Amino acid sequence: MSKTENAALALGNKSKFHEFVDSFGLPRLIIAGFLLVLFIMAPIVGADLPTQITNTINRFSWNAVLVLAMVPMVHSGCGLNFGLPLGIISGLLGATMSIQFGFTGPMSFVMAIVIATPFALIFGGGYGWLLNKIKGGEMMIATYVGFSSVSFMCMMWLLLPYSSPTMVWGLSGKGLRTTISLEGFYDKVLANFLQINIGNLSIPVGSLAFFALLAFLMWAFLHTKTGTAMTAVGSNPAFARASGINIDKMRLLSVVMSTWLAAVGILVYEQGFGFIQLYMAPFYMALPAVSAILIGGASVNKASITNVIIGTFLFQGIVTMTPTVMNSMIHMDMSEVIRIVVSNGMILYALTRKTEGAK
Amino acid sequence: MKSKRIILFRLGAILFLLIIAGIMMVIGRGHTVYVDNKSLEYNGQTYETPYKVVVFVDGEQVAKLYDKERGMTTCIGQKVAMSLEITQKKGGEEEVKNITISLPYNMDGIAINLPAYLAGLPEEAYLSEFQPAPDQPEEDESDEAVTDEFGLGDI
Amino acid sequence: MSMNDNKGGGKRLLDLARNNSVPLMFILICAVCIPVSGFSPAYLLNEILTRMGRNTFLILSLLIPIMAGMGLNFGMTLGAMAGEIGLILVADWQIWGIPGIILAMIISIPFSILLGLMCGNLMNKAKGREMVTGYIISFFVNGLYQLVVLYMMGSIIPIIHSSIKLPRGYGIRNTVSLLHMRQYLDNLLAIHIGGVKIPVLTFLITGLLCLFIIWFRKTKLGQDMRAVGQDMEVARDAGIKVERTRIIAIVMSTVFAGLGMVIYLQNMGNLSTYSSHTQIGMFCIAALLVGGASVDKASIGNVFLGVILFHLMFIVAPSTGAKITGDSMIGEYFRVFISYGVITLALIMYETKKRKAKGKAGQMLQLAQSEEDGQ
Repeated sequence: MSKTENAALALGNKSKFHEFVDSFGLPRLIIAGFLLVLFIMAPIVGADLPTQITNTINRFSWNAVLVLAMVPMVHSGCGLNFGLPLGIISGLLGATMSIQFGFTGPMSFVMAIVIATPFALIFGGGYGWLLNKIKGGEMMIATYVGFSSVSFMCMMWLLLPYSSPTMVWGLSGKGLRTTISLEGFYDKVLANFLQINIGNLSIPVGSLAFFALLAFLMWAFLHTKTGTAMTAVGSNPAFARASGINIDKMRLLSVVMSTWLAAVGILVYEQGFGFIQLYMAPFYMALPAVSAILIGGASVNKASITNVIIGTFLFQGIVTMTPTVMNSMIHMDMSEVIRIVVSNGMILYALTRKTEGAK
Repeated sequence: MKSKRIILFRLGAILFLLIIAGIMMVIGRGHTVYVDNKSLEYNGQTYETPYKVVVFVDGEQVAKLYDKERGMTTCIGQKVAMSLEITQKKGGEEEVKNITISLPYNMDGIAINLPAYLAGLPEEAYLSEFQPAPDQPEEDESDEAVTDEFGLGDI
Repeated sequence: MSMNDNKGGGKRLLDLARNNSVPLMFILICAVCIPVSGFSPAYLLNEILTRMGRNTFLILSLLIPIMAGMGLNFGMTLGAMAGEIGLILVADWQIWGIPGIILAMIISIPFSILLGLMCGNLMNKAKGREMVTGYIISFFVNGLYQLVVLYMMGSIIPIIHSSIKLPRGYGIRNTVSLLHMRQYLDNLLAIHIGGVKIPVLTFLITGLLCLFIIWFRKTKLGQDMRAVGQDMEVARDAGIKVERTRIIAIVMSTVFAGLGMVIYLQNMGNLSTYSSHTQIGMFCIAALLVGGASVDKASIGNVFLGVILFHLMFIVAPSTGAKITGDSMIGEYFRVFISYGVITLALIMYETKKRKAKGKAGQMLQLAQSEEDGQ
């Protein structure tokens, strides 16, 4: 091979590399590289790799549905759903009512979803109607709709007439506790279903399958006529209007879907985590989900199922791996700081990208 | 011409702030001054304590010291001005003395031995650094009870 | 004739009520809550004056970006963090009293300028969504702040006193006592009238900032900012450096927020290292909006009205809630809900107004533009 050919090949490789970087996004590459380094470092610094992978997969299965909830609203051009807490509240209402009405075991999980659904539809409908009124300013208002609803529900958790002794404060007999254990209800109900154990490695097949089902349904929906219409509304509203698509209706539908998925998402999260967290817990839950999907390669107006899977894996991987690896390496737990900087830096990166232009 | 003036103006502003900061660092240095009424041996000579010393700072009484007692006051700046009401013997005459002691910059806590100072001994004799005993074992910071979920306290 | 006049007057009154619905709502809330809470007027007056001295400066720092059309500056938290860094260093160097406060302010300025420059540049890249960007920036910088304060202070940045250092040898404790600066600014020149303390000096400083803002509006730069706020493209055509003007607006706001934070914390008397700043932006913005400001229009009058009404609500809500429902937490949650609710409401009103004002013609233009973009 002559020298010039070699050089040309190198040049070709280089431009290919550039192309790859461009399509993948530099921050994403850095984060993926960082996670890779963490995985390589883990055995060296003495952390048990199978346990680490188990933790990562577990956390993936808890959070994936919440991240999936981002997809419909991004598709319809409503931006990132910072109003996720609204959906989470529907889920919490479903969870607490299911327990209140005396359901136990796996049935309580099913009933929680069933009860959460009407709330998600009503809240999502109202929220979607509101977002249609304020096109262009969705993200900021979504954030504050989430905050207001969480702080409103803080009062409601105290005032609503719950009476199940597993949930209310023992002393006064009224007002829900801040954390409610799910033991005897739907603790690990999905995770334990068909669980595979190989040595230290365990895979919660049930949770993953549940997520896969929802993700498949989402994928299938996006390929139906309504789904493509929704994508059209987000990517090219003028074209959508010209082809007679009812834009407001599509946006409303996407918001309702997003809200419902958030409701289911928090229930899946709870079954993995084992506790219901009330009051201020849902407050900042939107940010990890938002940054996860962005890390996965989504942007303010483009997102796919692949983005959800990659993003959740990368984000949760970093969240679970950094504490152990950092701790055994430098005896300094900087994971919290890294998490804050990475997740918010990612959102900032997405918000300030020139190509997406101002909405 | 104009840009030059702007640069000059900016440099001036920065210099001005730096000067103020420097002045503040000098005049704002706070010290905790401990006043001891305790006999002291220096160069083989023993300096006896007066019966009672009442210490005033800014017209306020901060301590009434009998033998082997210690009083405390705080002061901002490198000088502390005190007025002492000294009673040499029980039932004796009160004698008022105004004193100003200059304090070293890099000491937080300063102990001053009054008998030594009143006898006119050099600084090294009457002045020593006082290190307050380390705080009693603190509560574990890591799991501090969260009483305020919003972190807003009292705004 | 008189009928017509009446009708016009009535309509004007209705318009006035509609335009000031948020302050009116708050007056109503306060009017209901104050008698129920059972606080004495002297106590309330004292509290309000304290809180006015403490918060007004911070809230005033929000005015300039609004003038430049950049909305509510959620990035003011950055200035608050700069102020806290200044206070931590000063507390470690044992500079007390007024000199300590001044020194902390001076130290905060370079940090504020740096953070403000960063914030301004990022916002220039995200035109049209400055608020959500500023909001995320505040989270992002909070991460950097923790990195500096929790890991670098004591290990790289020398911290002498163990009283503010974590027992492990580096990092700052959860609370830093500002005992030797506590209310020095408020107490100097303070006037006591019948048990009510008026922190005259703090008010004077706040007044100076008000005068500065009034003066600044009339300068060339201030006029430029207003032009940029009205219409960026028109301003650019008129030869104004739009990006630069916007960055200056944010830097100024951040610097004032840093100074304001020092004033705020010297009144509080101790610094919660990791939480003092997190909510400050939100509460300042809520207070400003309660005073009748909107995302694109705010005056000094709004600031003062806002401080009084918002903090009156804040003082009386917990005990009112406790008296009505028998649970003290209800009132706590209620006032937080109200703060968030007010911001939500103001944002919604702003966006709907903007959409209405755009009108049909604007929408057609937008349609044409987006068609062009699509191709």
